[in-house]
Amino acid sequence: MPAVIDIRGVHRIYESAAGYTHALKGVTLRVERGEFLCVMGPSGSGKSTLMNTLGCLDTPTSGTYRLEGVDVSTLTDDELAELRATRLGFVFQSYNLLPRATVLRNVMLPLVYSDCPVSQREQLARKALASVSLPEQYFDHRSNELSGGQMQRVAIARALVNDPAVILADEPTGNLDTATGNMVLRTFRRLRDEGKTIVLITHDAEVADWADRTVHIRDGRLLTDEQERALQAAHPGTRSAT
Amino acid sequence: MRIRDLVWETGSALDANRGRSLLTVLGIVIGIAAVIAMTALIGGVKQSLVGELGLNQARMVDFFAWPEREVTLDDLKNLEERMPEYECLTATSYANGEVKSETKTFSGTIMGVLPNYERVMGVKMTQGSFIKDHDQDSVALVAVLDQGAVKQLYGSPDEQVVGRTISISNVSYSVVGVSESTSYMGNGGTVYLPFSTCASRLTGDWGIGSINGLAREDADMSTIAETTMQTLADYFQMSEDQAKEDVYAYTMQSVIDELETTMASFQLLMTAVASISLVVGGIGIMNMMLTNVTERIREIGLRKALGARSSDITKQFLLESVCLCLAGGFIGVVLGYLGSFALTGVAGSMMELGATSAPLRPMIDVKSVAMVTGICILIGVLFGYYPARRAARLDPVESLHYQ
Repeated sequence: MPAVIDIRGVHRIYESAAGYTHALKGVTLRVERGEFLCVMGPSGSGKSTLMNTLGCLDTPTSGTYRLEGVDVSTLTDDELAELRATRLGFVFQSYNLLPRATVLRNVMLPLVYSDCPVSQREQLARKALASVSLPEQYFDHRSNELSGGQMQRVAIARALVNDPAVILADEPTGNLDTATGNMVLRTFRRLRDEGKTIVLITHDAEVADWADRTVHIRDGRLLTDEQERALQAAHPGTRSAT
Repeated sequence: MRIRDLVWETGSALDANRGRSLLTVLGIVIGIAAVIAMTALIGGVKQSLVGELGLNQARMVDFFAWPEREVTLDDLKNLEERMPEYECLTATSYANGEVKSETKTFSGTIMGVLPNYERVMGVKMTQGSFIKDHDQDSVALVAVLDQGAVKQLYGSPDEQVVGRTISISNVSYSVVGVSESTSYMGNGGTVYLPFSTCASRLTGDWGIGSINGLAREDADMSTIAETTMQTLADYFQMSEDQAKEDVYAYTMQSVIDELETTMASFQLLMTAVASISLVVGGIGIMNMMLTNVTERIREIGLRKALGARSSDITKQFLLESVCLCLAGGFIGVVLGYLGSFALTGVAGSMMELGATSAPLRPMIDVKSVAMVTGICILIGVLFGYYPARRAARLDPVESLHYQ
């Protein structure tokens, strides 16, 4: 069985008014099924670009990306959209829920784009909400009536609802206090225990402790733990724990 | 994305901006209201005029010739044989005199008519019946009044007068029927007598004053006047010069054509006004949709991240603008019809169609509503396309981080 994520020698170069930005410099990474991986790095290190690349929102300038064995560079825009709808789940720092829609409606949103029959949607959404332990009494609330922790759990349920190959979480605890953040991270851990594959991006070392494995990204390059420790020893204080 | 989802998204998006949406569609509302009011008004005017002219009027030909001698009923019979393009011909004579009821007197037109005058002219009876064959044969002392005459003689055009007696030059006639007034005959009041009665009692003269013919349905109305005049000239053995002076034939077709031309230019003017308003309205829609797209950039980015294809986003925003236009169109239709009732009131009194003629009613038809629906969809697509494409082309990464 191929790895869920297999990227090799990926470069990403942006062209902007200020000139060229080399955001990823030959990144190679494998994520196995059922793994909870943390990508850690300070801001500007290229972790967001990596996240967008993994999420098929951005395409590499060079290198290959295989998602469950499929080379995504060969896919058309519509095929990429379908991939996002069915094989990828996103969790954002700022939740990105539709504020005026109900919790159920928010969780059902990806199903709208994956051609899921209308009759099955609510059932799938309830199941996803149950697995993030959101009490049923909130299901018909508008999402802007919830607390931050509740909103993030709704967002995780939304990422789960299509049973994706991988859940990509970009600073999911960034807007939450430590206790609530830990609750969200516990949810990710439990999902990992149920066999989900999770890639979490953070700059917070404490968050990274929840993961099975951590890779560091710095100036567009991935470092192993050993390389990172060596770097830390040479330049103490550069580790950007906040 | 299914149609049901699209409709749900559209409904919730429009619901979120109710006040702003309403203001935005105002241009469409005004344009559509103008279109509807005008078509209803024009339809009403047409119907009222056609109703007034009578159903047969388009096929009616008014003609006569003045040869050296008197034209008689025998000539009419001969002409009828020579003019196969007519279903029938009828003759009229005219007289003048004071017409008296029990209380009032008026001097109006007195016409001696044949019984088939009713059919040829499309006379509509409101009371009793028209002059019959036996009235003509027995030189009966009967009269048919039009509503104008009833008004003059009895005060109100709706007075029940069948069976009452009027007198003309000291001869009493019993009223057997009342016909609708037509502006063709004027509103001064007309009294119809049997042709024979008019000739023997009033004029003492059996000559015909004018002839009216009802053309066959398949007759060519554009050339019938020409052929009729030719036949008349031949029959009365008139020279070409004499015929030019003393023969005429006149069809209502030309009047109807003229009416249509007037209406068409009126319609063109209103279409121009409505089009300008609709274009301005459409630009308003485009403006609102562009604002909408900017406001919802993050939502668009999210939808794309969750798997929306560009076409899904295009469809969503297009449907939104089409629905906006349709909502505007619906309000416009309602306002337009309300407005057309007010307008017909004004137009009706301006045209002074007379107290006795049918009131002007706006004509409401399915065709114009269908047309409006089409126009609204067209405007929605036309002016919604650019904003929708702009939304669809947004880069998901940038839009997700848009502040």
